[in-house]
Amino acid sequence: MSTLVVENLTKTYPGTRKAPPVEAVRGISFSVEPGEFLGLLGPNGAGKSTTLGCMSTLVRPTGGRIVVDGAEVGKDPSGVKRSLAVVPQMRNLDRELTVRELLVFHGRYFGLEATEREARATRLLDDLQVADKAGAKPATLSGGQQQRVMIARALMHDPKVVLLDEPTTGLDPQARRLLWETLQRLHQRGLTFILTTHYMEEADRLCERVAIVDHGRILTLDTPAALKKSLPGAQVLDLWMRAPQPLAPRLRAVTGVLNIEAVEASDGDADGLERLRLFVEPGEGLLDRVLVAVREGGADLRHVSLSQPSLEDVYIHLTGRGLRE
Amino acid sequence: MTAFLALLHRDLTVAARQAPFLLLATLTQPILVILVFGNILPRLGLVSATFGIVMVPGLMAIAILMAGVQGVLMPLVQDFSGTREVDERLLAPISVFGVTVERIVAGAVHAATAGLVAGPAMILLMHGTGLGDVQPRWALLLPFIAICGLLSASFGLTLGTQVQPRFAGLLFAVVLGPMMLFGCAYYPWAQLKEIGPVRFLFLLNPLTFVSEAMRLAVTPEAPHMPTPLLLAGLFGWLVTFTFLGTRAFEKRAIL
Repeated sequence: MSTLVVENLTKTYPGTRKAPPVEAVRGISFSVEPGEFLGLLGPNGAGKSTTLGCMSTLVRPTGGRIVVDGAEVGKDPSGVKRSLAVVPQMRNLDRELTVRELLVFHGRYFGLEATEREARATRLLDDLQVADKAGAKPATLSGGQQQRVMIARALMHDPKVVLLDEPTTGLDPQARRLLWETLQRLHQRGLTFILTTHYMEEADRLCERVAIVDHGRILTLDTPAALKKSLPGAQVLDLWMRAPQPLAPRLRAVTGVLNIEAVEASDGDADGLERLRLFVEPGEGLLDRVLVAVREGGADLRHVSLSQPSLEDVYIHLTGRGLRE
Repeated sequence: MTAFLALLHRDLTVAARQAPFLLLATLTQPILVILVFGNILPRLGLVSATFGIVMVPGLMAIAILMAGVQGVLMPLVQDFSGTREVDERLLAPISVFGVTVERIVAGAVHAATAGLVAGPAMILLMHGTGLGDVQPRWALLLPFIAICGLLSASFGLTLGTQVQPRFAGLLFAVVLGPMMLFGCAYYPWAQLKEIGPVRFLFLLNPLTFVSEAMRLAVTPEAPHMPTPLLLAGLFGWLVTFTFLGTRAFEKRAIL
């Protein structure tokens, strides 16, 4: 039996005098098997966090059905809340308590016996490498440490599913890597995770299946390898340039170029440069042929990058937009 | 129920740690006011010596109201302006209504403690000045303090859920300040007969009933509001604010 089932979930936030209603989720369905690590990958505003909020009972769904370990959201909220744990995007540790106390109190909220909650707090503090911070207040911890304490807190009541909402946003690369290792370790022990993220590397590295979410819908859902395989061509060639005329028709005629997509400019791109993404079958002379076509088109080529396809390429292929906008 | 008691335990644990600050915040104002109005002004002959006795229950009422409102309002405003610590409570196996009622009960404990500390402190102070003795009816005082605490906390919940966090500071100047002046804390409602039917407007102020409840219990010999009206006001406002506050809380907490 699936640990979690989401069927045709919709959520529309009602409008106000100044703002129109927002259709954040427009019919999302998926299920998660026990022990699975599922990712919802998409840009900010895609509806990932709202979907997570609906599962956790903190957001009231407009339509659809969510069942967590046999308990249905809306009918048995307490049952749902016992079965899942949430690591929210916003760090919301109890500021008045020490790290150890806040774990123990969390266990108390869920009715754990005194000896049990003390033992679990000790074990989880060790497990998440924050034992040395047991007596500290959360405000004195680094972002990565707070994040690990939030995971420890989430695990106190032994949930069936853990929801992670953008867990590494705002962390430095080192803290991010440490958190990834921690999550992988916990997952190997059989914990079920659902993660939202807009970092494709994170989804690629942690998740067994990834749903690509955009504008409140799931565009595709599969293993990262299968998603990347679904792209035309074996490699991706990105070209940044200034072109007086559209180059795509000319490039499409080049042998070895399977598909071309114009990528909308995003913050990360150099200012005003046009970006073309070529899905290519690498072969002898391919780069030469592409460069000749660019030169003949009168374009001023500034930057080239040849890479293995990533989940971001899948996203761009599906939406025509970059992930970080 | 387990989750409810656990949340209450957490709130009382934290409140106990902050007790010195809470006491300071609660006691400073009434003690200084009693000193001025119960001691200095009577000596100068500017007010009658009994004025201090009129003020003791009123100042207790203010202490209860302010502590109850602050005990609920401040965490609420912080939560809604960004810390979202409330989400952990909402994710505990308890209904949203349960989370809200726990907030009211915790605020009421806060308020009742303030009343129980401020009252005897002022009574001792009055006794020390030799201006008069106050002998409260404890059997009446304790349940009244409990109800008034709940009323104050539910009022704080209503304010906290209706007001934008950035206007929270304004509340004290625009709402709570006038409430204290027109809440029968410094004069008995019964004696407002002098100002005519306008006195019924004072019944819109929940502090009026808290003041009168304290007056009935602390200085029963002084003129006070008829008991049926007093009880109707206390329970009426308690039910109204609990209803408005819990409804608004759920609206803001669950999107």
